[in-house]
Amino acid sequence: MLAETLTDGYAIPDGCYDELLGPDGRAHPHVAALARALERLGPEALLAAGRRRDAIFMQQGITFEVSGSDGERRDRPFPLDLVPRVLTAGEWTVIKRGLAQRIRALNAFVDDVYHSREIVRAGVLPWSLVVSRPSFARPVHGIRAPGGVYTHVCGCDLVRGGDGGWRVLEDNVRTPSGISYVLENRLAMTRLMPELFAGQRVRPVDNYPSLLLEALQAVAPAAEGEPTVVLWTPGPLNGAYFEHAFLAREMGIELVEASDLVVRDATCYMRTTAGLKRVHTIYRRLDDDFIDPLAFRPDSMLGVPGLIRAYRAGAVAIANAVGTGVADDKAVYHYVPEMIRFYLAEEPILQNVPTYLLSDAKLRAWVLERLHELVVKPTSESGGKGVFIGPQASAAELEHQALLIQASPELFIAQELVHLSTVPTETGDGRLAPRHVDLRPFALFGEEIRIVPGGLTRVALQEGSMIVNSSRGGGSKDTWVLEDGDAPEPSVPALAAREPPRLPDVRFGGWHGQAQQQQ
Amino acid sequence: MQFTIRYLSRYLYESDVVDNINALRVRPASTPTQHVDDFTLRLTPEARQYRHEDYFGTEVVEFEITRPHRELVIDALAHVRTEPAAEPTDADWAAVTEAAYRDAGSEFLVQTDEAPDHPLLAELERALAGATGPLGAALLVSELIPDRLDYRPGATYVDSPLAHVLDIGAGVCQDFVHLGLHLLRGRGIAARYVSGYLYTRGREADAGPHQVDGDGQPSVEVDTHAWIEALVPQEAERPRWIGIDPTNRGLAGERHVKIGHGRHYADVPPIKGVYRGLASSRLEASVTMTRV
Repeated sequence: MLAETLTDGYAIPDGCYDELLGPDGRAHPHVAALARALERLGPEALLAAGRRRDAIFMQQGITFEVSGSDGERRDRPFPLDLVPRVLTAGEWTVIKRGLAQRIRALNAFVDDVYHSREIVRAGVLPWSLVVSRPSFARPVHGIRAPGGVYTHVCGCDLVRGGDGGWRVLEDNVRTPSGISYVLENRLAMTRLMPELFAGQRVRPVDNYPSLLLEALQAVAPAAEGEPTVVLWTPGPLNGAYFEHAFLAREMGIELVEASDLVVRDATCYMRTTAGLKRVHTIYRRLDDDFIDPLAFRPDSMLGVPGLIRAYRAGAVAIANAVGTGVADDKAVYHYVPEMIRFYLAEEPILQNVPTYLLSDAKLRAWVLERLHELVVKPTSESGGKGVFIGPQASAAELEHQALLIQASPELFIAQELVHLSTVPTETGDGRLAPRHVDLRPFALFGEEIRIVPGGLTRVALQEGSMIVNSSRGGGSKDTWVLEDGDAPEPSVPALAAREPPRLPDVRFGGWHGQAQQQQ
Repeated sequence: MQFTIRYLSRYLYESDVVDNINALRVRPASTPTQHVDDFTLRLTPEARQYRHEDYFGTEVVEFEITRPHRELVIDALAHVRTEPAAEPTDADWAAVTEAAYRDAGSEFLVQTDEAPDHPLLAELERALAGATGPLGAALLVSELIPDRLDYRPGATYVDSPLAHVLDIGAGVCQDFVHLGLHLLRGRGIAARYVSGYLYTRGREADAGPHQVDGDGQPSVEVDTHAWIEALVPQEAERPRWIGIDPTNRGLAGERHVKIGHGRHYADVPPIKGVYRGLASSRLEASVTMTRV
């Protein structure tokens, strides 16, 4: 019945696992009910819901900027596809355990790298690799983060290969973004498509802000009474400012910028109308480079001078900790399975995508021969920047990439191409077609590791495309994890939203640098 | 040799400034050939001093003066004894390609400052090509740079890029060191930036004004200085960090008092600080070294 209407011509790309239809052309049992509900709705209702979605998102400012063909930049509603992606409780259990394991290892690695370097002394990973990472943060050498937690918020990107198995594509343990879309998508779906939820037991995600606040409070240095947590944003010009403001409001904490924070006697304070107020945990949403001009870039007057001193004194927790970027570098990624074995004495639950480091001459030659079938990534970039996809490259592009690799092999890694799984997606005419997706679950590490069910599913809206980044034509989907009849996750009471107080002006204006040349 | 070193910096602001926050790296290091008997630091206005050892092992003193002030005085006094280092030996070029050497050199093998294609750089690289071994190359660098570039205070700034130094063919010790580091690393030799003090008495070219203190001891006015340590493979022992001075030619010796090292200047600046206020500042800085 399904194949005759909504999914007419639903053609699964060769070698890909489809999350709706099995090889026999029948819906997987856990999505059969959803398929029937979509069928009952029909294309017209789906299109009408799409129009309501765009109107609501524009009105609420859930948008992102795109450049039109005329070069003009304009806001578009964030493209939420109205067909949810569904994961079973069993699948989710494996993902959750696998991620928790991986994050424990990444956290141990960050601690080790800035302290005893045991993994290097054991010969598992070369020290030269660590010190050549631009994200290796020498100013935090020897500083132990409060509670021993460094990777408070992690967003690891998962993909599903042709066999349906889950693999980790990359780790994000600096300032991963996207959680606001997870929460907004769910809210929008319950309003726009309530009929899809009928009879389904979808695990809730709306307790994320409470869990985040709990984690941030759990790592706070000792406080009399409730610790003060703030969210530090680079400001309204930042691409993720919407999310910063959203999370601060949901958690009921102050949204601050550098000029609102000050260090006195190795303690961090926030300026308020009532004077200085001690800050215990900073959830920062900006890069290490801009945190403290005394410790990092001296030309950056954006930061809070002396913050690293307060951090060294253990007077303030910074989430994520300074220097975590060394753990999600793409060359270091190659070693994560070994880290799990080394620090936890466990076998990895989630596998890496096979990755090749290019500093070895033999391996490099082998990779260059297979360049047309591999993916190449710069080691120290993120957000899909500079990614080269062999099968889609022209002869000239292949040659150019080969030259880049030969010139500086240590700046790149090569990976096997993963044929991302496909999920039914509305294609603009009310009909469904398979489109490629990935998954970014958000894990929180405070007292323990907690992961809200699901995460951000990003979908490539163009037929055949595997580029899911929203800046490059990707959309997102509500991600459902179904209950399996076991006890649900313990719920955390929701917090009341409140308006942060306005902060007073700063009398002395900007910072001046002080330096002496050596003659 | 035994020295008393006084580092004195006086910042004068036109009007009140606040939140004057600084990190100092001025304390001489303790090394096998250098002993620090005493180090004191006085700040005016008074401020609490926070000390820690940084990633590279340099002692850092941080302080903050939050209340309004128009003058900041940093007054450091150190008593130091230095000894000559053992004569280094050279090795063949193959030694710097060995895994153990590259492991020991680690981050000091990696270029930190971008160097453009420049005829002067190419000329220096060609001249260096004839070096017989790593130690020979290091010594040659310490000659080539003062041969081809002018020592000219005021020609460059604290953050001048190599491109600018090459363009004008001049600079100060900091620039010479950055250029030297680039040349040595380009040959696969691990090299690091050293910050310190140099007792220059008796050198005709760059000796400062002399004075004699109450006990008849010779004192000289100097500046903080910078030179290079290159990791040189040794016969029958592990590679050793050898000091060379591209401003004064040849090996660094007993007159060189080391504060610390890093990949480049930015890892070990004598002072790094910020303050808030609408005022501009004037600096009176001096370093006085007295031979005891």
